[in-house]
Amino acid sequence: MFRAALMPALLAVTLAGSAACAQPAQPQNQQQPAAAPAAAPVALPANVRVYDVPAGSRPHDVAPGPGNLVWYTGQRRGTLGILNPETGAVREVRLGEGSAPHGVIQGPDGAAWITDGGLNAIVRVDPATDAVRVWRLPAEFPDSNLNTAAFDREGRIWFTGQTGIYGRLDPRSGEMRVWRDPEGRGPYGIAATPSGDIYYVSLAGSHLARVDRETGAATLIEPPTAGQGARRVWADRAGNLWVSEWNGGQLSRYTPSTGQWRSWRPEGERTRVYAVYVDDRDMVWVTEWGANATLAFDPATERWTRYPGSGANANVRQILGRPGWVYLPESGLDRIMVVRTGG
Amino acid sequence: MRVVAAGALALLALAAAPPPAVNDNAGARVFAQCVACHAIEPGRNTPAGPTLHGVVGRPVAAQPGFNYSPALRRFAASNPRWTPELLDRFLADPERVVPGTEMGLIGLRDPAQRRAVIAFLDGSRRHN
Repeated sequence: MFRAALMPALLAVTLAGSAACAQPAQPQNQQQPAAAPAAAPVALPANVRVYDVPAGSRPHDVAPGPGNLVWYTGQRRGTLGILNPETGAVREVRLGEGSAPHGVIQGPDGAAWITDGGLNAIVRVDPATDAVRVWRLPAEFPDSNLNTAAFDREGRIWFTGQTGIYGRLDPRSGEMRVWRDPEGRGPYGIAATPSGDIYYVSLAGSHLARVDRETGAATLIEPPTAGQGARRVWADRAGNLWVSEWNGGQLSRYTPSTGQWRSWRPEGERTRVYAVYVDDRDMVWVTEWGANATLAFDPATERWTRYPGSGANANVRQILGRPGWVYLPESGLDRIMVVRTGG
Repeated sequence: MRVVAAGALALLALAAAPPPAVNDNAGARVFAQCVACHAIEPGRNTPAGPTLHGVVGRPVAAQPGFNYSPALRRFAASNPRWTPELLDRFLADPERVVPGTEMGLIGLRDPAQRRAVIAFLDGSRRHN
């Protein structure tokens, strides 16, 4: 509870005009290296708050919930966590024996949709009743290591499994189809573009793939950097695909209309870019594990703004948000960081 | 023969544990949690992890061609080899044993699962 008590105090100090404990986010090249383990508490930017979640949760992914609530997957506790950022209160919904949820998104029905590796199932949690409904993968796809999901415009949920699969569930009929990635192991992040196309990336396969939403066929798109380890993908408002390259240590953009790629590398000797998310202003957010930080990249100016983890080994594995807010699950610290980006 | 030898090694290392009942099928099932990042064939590193071919007894953070995290390199200084006992501790809770590890596995809480996958990995020398 230390953190929950400390952060409002920090914010209060900041609002009173002091910069002793908090400061504006600064461009990356004006910052010191990431704090070493057991260093003094990190001074967080003024637009940041940090919330504790139950110990041992390992919050893996986050998503906007109803109202101002924030959902997260408690991967170690087998829960959907529900954070109220106005009070810091957390409530948990247990997903079932053996659950180890990875991804969570909000569906068009307003419910939480979860890719649960432990249950090897797609799970829906009703936001009004907490009712949990489970769609298990077909028996021929056991232990698929389910990862992430995205909805298409037809209301079907597409998902990836790291053992080498991707699939589609129509919640209305219950029909589930599963396909094998042409290159095997690795499907990780998945996203829908504004025009409704579905793309996913493969970490072990180092490729981007566009999925035909009717036939399920995947067309592979090879980034120019070999062996880059494409981990997550997100689309901006123009439909460009932004890819976080783990092994390549850089952020890349693919423009479907021209087939062109362009890449940007954060500063650092051994960069590891894990998550990517494009916010409502087309700012591109990535987590860079080599620096233990989240970076906001402005494509217009090509400048990076750095948000340090709230402690060593914050391990932010995914980013999501809503207009004016960005959510960062610090899986290594059992904390959720919330960044205010709008007025 | 490799599986039998691995079982004996694990038993010696985990003296307090009950006699392990291990077989390739059980270990292969557990290994399904690893295949997204790790191959079992020799020389097949992926962008997310080194091959685990012959990992039992191998020097820590020393597979050629893989760019290990600083955390694992530091760990290797005081833990030079992946003994069955060390693998057992690591697989139970990777982030606790090696803070800063980049491996995504949340940990195998069941000792029987750990014994099985360690035996499977020890048998990986047969895979070429």
